[in-house]
Amino acid sequence: MSADVKILDGNTFVVSDDRGDIEASLTDPTGLFSFDTRFLSKWILTIDGQRLNPLSIDDLQYFETRFFLVPGTGTVYIDAKLSVIRQRAVSDGFHEDLTILNHAETAVDLTVRVEAACDFADLFEVKDALKKQGAYYARVDDGHLTLGYERETYVRETWISATEACTVDEDSLTFAVHVEPHEQWSTELHVAIGRDARGPASGLTAGGRRATAARPSMELSLQKWLDDAPELDCDWDPLKRTYRRSLVDLAALRFSPVMLPGHYLPAAGLPWFMTMFGRDSIFTSLQALPFNSDLARTTLTALGLWQGTRRDDFRDEDPGRILHELRFGEMTAFEERPHSPYYGSVDATPLYVVLLDEYERWTGDATLVRALEGQARAALAWIDDYADLQGNGYIAYQRRNEKTGLENQCWKDSWDSISYRDGRLPGFPRATCELQGYAYDAKMRGARLARLVWKDPAFAERLEKEAAGLKRRFNRDFWVEDGEYFALAVEPDGSKVDALASNNGHLLWSGIVDKSKAKAVARHLMSPAMFSGWGVRTLAEGEGRYNPIGYHVGTIWPYDNSFIAWGLRRYGFKEEAARIAAGILDAAEFFDGRLPEAFGGYERELTKYPVQYPTSCSPQAWSTGAPLLLLRTMLGLEPTGEHLLVDPALPSGVGRLELLDIPGRWGRMDAFGRGRVDVQKRSGRKTPGPAAPRKKS
Amino acid sequence: MSDPTSEFFAGISQQRQVLPRGLTGVVRCDLRDGERTEHWYVTIGKGDVTASREGAAADCVLTADKATFDAIAGGEMNAVAALLRGALSAQGEIILLTALQRLFPAPSDAQDRPVAGYARRTS
Repeated sequence: MSADVKILDGNTFVVSDDRGDIEASLTDPTGLFSFDTRFLSKWILTIDGQRLNPLSIDDLQYFETRFFLVPGTGTVYIDAKLSVIRQRAVSDGFHEDLTILNHAETAVDLTVRVEAACDFADLFEVKDALKKQGAYYARVDDGHLTLGYERETYVRETWISATEACTVDEDSLTFAVHVEPHEQWSTELHVAIGRDARGPASGLTAGGRRATAARPSMELSLQKWLDDAPELDCDWDPLKRTYRRSLVDLAALRFSPVMLPGHYLPAAGLPWFMTMFGRDSIFTSLQALPFNSDLARTTLTALGLWQGTRRDDFRDEDPGRILHELRFGEMTAFEERPHSPYYGSVDATPLYVVLLDEYERWTGDATLVRALEGQARAALAWIDDYADLQGNGYIAYQRRNEKTGLENQCWKDSWDSISYRDGRLPGFPRATCELQGYAYDAKMRGARLARLVWKDPAFAERLEKEAAGLKRRFNRDFWVEDGEYFALAVEPDGSKVDALASNNGHLLWSGIVDKSKAKAVARHLMSPAMFSGWGVRTLAEGEGRYNPIGYHVGTIWPYDNSFIAWGLRRYGFKEEAARIAAGILDAAEFFDGRLPEAFGGYERELTKYPVQYPTSCSPQAWSTGAPLLLLRTMLGLEPTGEHLLVDPALPSGVGRLELLDIPGRWGRMDAFGRGRVDVQKRSGRKTPGPAAPRKKS
Repeated sequence: MSDPTSEFFAGISQQRQVLPRGLTGVVRCDLRDGERTEHWYVTIGKGDVTASREGAAADCVLTADKATFDAIAGGEMNAVAALLRGALSAQGEIILLTALQRLFPAPSDAQDRPVAGYARRTS
């Protein structure tokens, strides 16, 4: 049976097979999960001892699904006299309406049984197949089944109950059911989760001892979310579908931090990453800003609250550092993993300042910028005081937690992502190029906020001076003369780690690239070695470690491409940005509007369709955000003072495009454009140049 | 005999610089020590924080064994992990606890400076 039916609400989600059953092994990510813990690993429905067969599944909403089933395990359905409907919705556990319909002329008596069990595995244990150290228990009281796990003061429980009379034992609920001809029988099953049977829920993981019901407000909340977003209309239908898919998936990935109830930030992805990630939450908030600024506001507030305040080697924490990942499971609770929170990300801190400034430019919300002044200053100070591990003025990373910390703390975090042309790997600390761009941008944007909001012109001047110095040195120290692009990293002795990689696009986005070098960088990004026709590869074809299905060494990441497109626009390469947008949005069509984390770097003309990289995470937040940012770059949306500038450069295939009610400090504004960029044009050796001005309507 | 909890609360008012602006409220810490329970009131003001043994209504109540809190206040135990473990529990406005956890000291074994040294170029 395929195990791929997922529904979720925040960081609570259910993964089951297509019958609605759950039969998890330790290494298998099926079950009911909440706060990084599995609360149900077995949930099997039988009628008279028989499993059921799926007829169809209705994905009603991201938090709700309906299974139509018939008894019998064969592959041929012989005139089933019974049908079964399981309708399940997630909310602090889940709620299942079970209905049995008798289509026969005679009454039936049935034994309906729901088997339940739980291993209370930490998501990290599911990933790494580790053994539990505590004790399990099961208890029947008052018609409820309680499944529990206890290790010292750590307690997690699952409470199972039904609205119809049943016999409860320690591994099941059994119903003696009588159904008259052409009648139906139904019961509601409640699965509630919590951290402690002995008292009310407390601390960081919510969940109380109460029967839960699907909240009708969830449907309203999704509808409101969709209504609040700008309205897109265009001649190219796939783009409309992709846009809607993106909005719905982004709604599904919203996660309300316990300390900020009712506010949402984007979690990174389902199923492994339904938590707060510094980098992913920031990038996704940036992508979504023209459509929704609440995500950015909550991200900034929550990450600010958790900003590092001390030196803690286990957590790779420093004062001013923005967290990488926060987890709530058993291994984090017992400090077997450092995620309480873990700070081993080196880009989230400068990007925090970038997001704060971009947020202000869209919303004009100076109040938040004032409230977070201390956080922004601490983040800026971290860049100079704690990140300069090579002692040369560049941000670099090297973990202090050598057991369970992350070795690679930039977005390309696999072991082989940073290499020389010939495939050699550099040592540590590693100063990758995009980090310097983010630092530059953080200083420039910090300076703008200092002058405008914090009223500290001296600080602004200092930051601008530092940024200018950084830019000058960077364009000298990272530039690969014989290739005319920026090295992927530098080593402490100044050696340039000289592979050509997509990080060059992030450099354009940051603004650190000298104008005189931008043309060469753009040419590389659009060259056949980098641009496949679908998008820009993470690593150029021809480099030592290039592999079209290598995670960060040749695949194409939609998120990466959306920022590359933004970077190209920043330097005036509108047509090139449009070509990337066209490629990625074409690819989205093959995935029904839901872009994967990454897909193969094969030449478009070779495969004709984008080859998905095998990954278990979908939807993923920053892939979901990519079409949104690409809409921004295609329309050339740029907040300027109290106004929104629109400067479209759309692929001709899009035709007419309207984005209505774009929210911002201007209230709501509409943007219109018409596709005029011929993206079929062979990109190869063409010298990029500013496009001819297109008049907006 | 040293009392890390008292020392922590005595020094808490020096730490205002790390608290987010705009966050206000009172956290009451109920620390169980055998039969008796020790109370501390932490008042978080506008970037300002004070602690005392007396107080009125609290917005957030934190409960722990005195020994557990001593370990946290002395930098030997991580407060967030303790909370996840159930060694600490809290009720009320959890956001205030997020603020309070920022004030606990660093583990004593942490290195002061980055591994490869530290230099800043100004040009």
